[in-house]
Order: sequence, then C-alpha cells, then structure tokens
Amino acid sequence: MKFVNRQFGEFEFDEKHVLELPEGIIGFGEFRRFLIVDDEDTQPFRWLVSLEDSDLSFAMIAPETVVSGYEGTYFKGENVTVFLFVALKEPVDGSTMNLRSPLVIDNAQRVGRQVILDDETLTMQFPLFSRSAELVE
Amino acid sequence: MLILSRKIEESIIVGDTITIKILGIHEGQVKIGIEAPKEIKVFRSEVYEQIQKENIEASKSEKTSVSKAASMLRQHKAGTQGAKQ
Repeated sequence: MKFVNRQFGEFEFDEKHVLELPEGIIGFGEFRRFLIVDDEDTQPFRWLVSLEDSDLSFAMIAPETVVSGYEGTYFKGENVTVFLFVALKEPVDGSTMNLRSPLVIDNAQRVGRQVILDDETLTMQFPLFSRSAELVE
Repeated sequence: MLILSRKIEESIIVGDTITIKILGIHEGQVKIGIEAPKEIKVFRSEVYEQIQKENIEASKSEKTSVSKAASMLRQHKAGTQGAKQ
C-alpha cells in the first residue's frame, strides 16, 4: 500500500506493519492507524506516522537511549515496546520528552496505546539533553 | 451540564459502574472518591490537558530539527540520568 506524508513523502507499507491505536493519541483521538517509521537522518529518533492524516507525525525515542531504568521500573516483565514522545524546541537543546504518558505497544497483539502512568513525579517535560536540565519545571 | 448538590458522604452514580462520593470539604477543597472499573480512565483534567499539549508539541517536531537533535544526541550520549527528577 502507498501513503504520502508531508515530511516523509510517498512511501510504501505492508498492511502487517500497521500499528492500530484503538484509543488514538490523546488530543488526536480520531486517528487510529499509524506506522512506526525509522528515518536514517533522524536516528535514534523514531516517528509515529498517521496513515489517515498526511500532515500528522510524532517524534519519539526509545527510553533506554536517554533515561536509564525507565522500562525496568514501569514495565518490568511486560512484553511491550515503549516510546517516549519528544517535543523538539528551538534551540534544539531545550527539547523535552514526556515521561508520564509514553506510547506502549503490546508486542504480541501489535496494538498500541498512550498510557498515563500513575507516578505523578514523572515529568512531561524531561530534558532531552541533560545540560538543559534547568529548563524543566 | 447537570448540576447536583451533595453533602459529605453522599454520592452520585454514573452509568451502572461509576460511583462518585464526596468525602470531605475543607478550606475550599473538595475531596472526592471515585469508584470505577479498571478500564475507565480517571485523571485530573490538568493532567489530560497537559498531555494533549505535549502531544501537540511532539506533532510539530520537524524532520530538520529532529535530525539536528539526533546528531547532538549521538555526540552527547546523555544516557546516564535517572528517569525521575
């Protein structure tokens, strides 16, 4: 199948790679079908690309790339893949990621949802770069 | 909007499964107890609104700045911080 995205242009995808988010993304509830796109220029970031709105994509990153112990603490023993949503700011070193409500993909069912973790100490604006830690609320 | 007056210890039932009870009122704050099935998500609305805001920010991330951040990250290797503040 083919799809055109504003940022990634036209790309082909296999139906079996489609990620269903039955509850959508908070604030973008109407969209359910996504692809996880790996772009060479933006590794280690990944993209959650909507297959229903060609303008819509989210930057994400695997927690182990940037914070230690996150998955072990919150998803211990679960067969899931976790991604943190990243808000890119200008200048780039003020960019943040949301530790409170990650995208969690059930590896067996291949279904994802944006969860809200119960731990209220988790910030939604954790600095991507540690030297900008003072920008966090 | 349906508006109801309740006293302490009185409650409201929503649907068949959700009970909302007024537990206490103290200095302008109301303490509310909510009983709902596990699959019903209950959050303070500020939490939900902030997630919405952060999601909107994440959706504005452009490939050019992400690629800039990516090369900074590869150099920076800021992987040693704990998840909590």
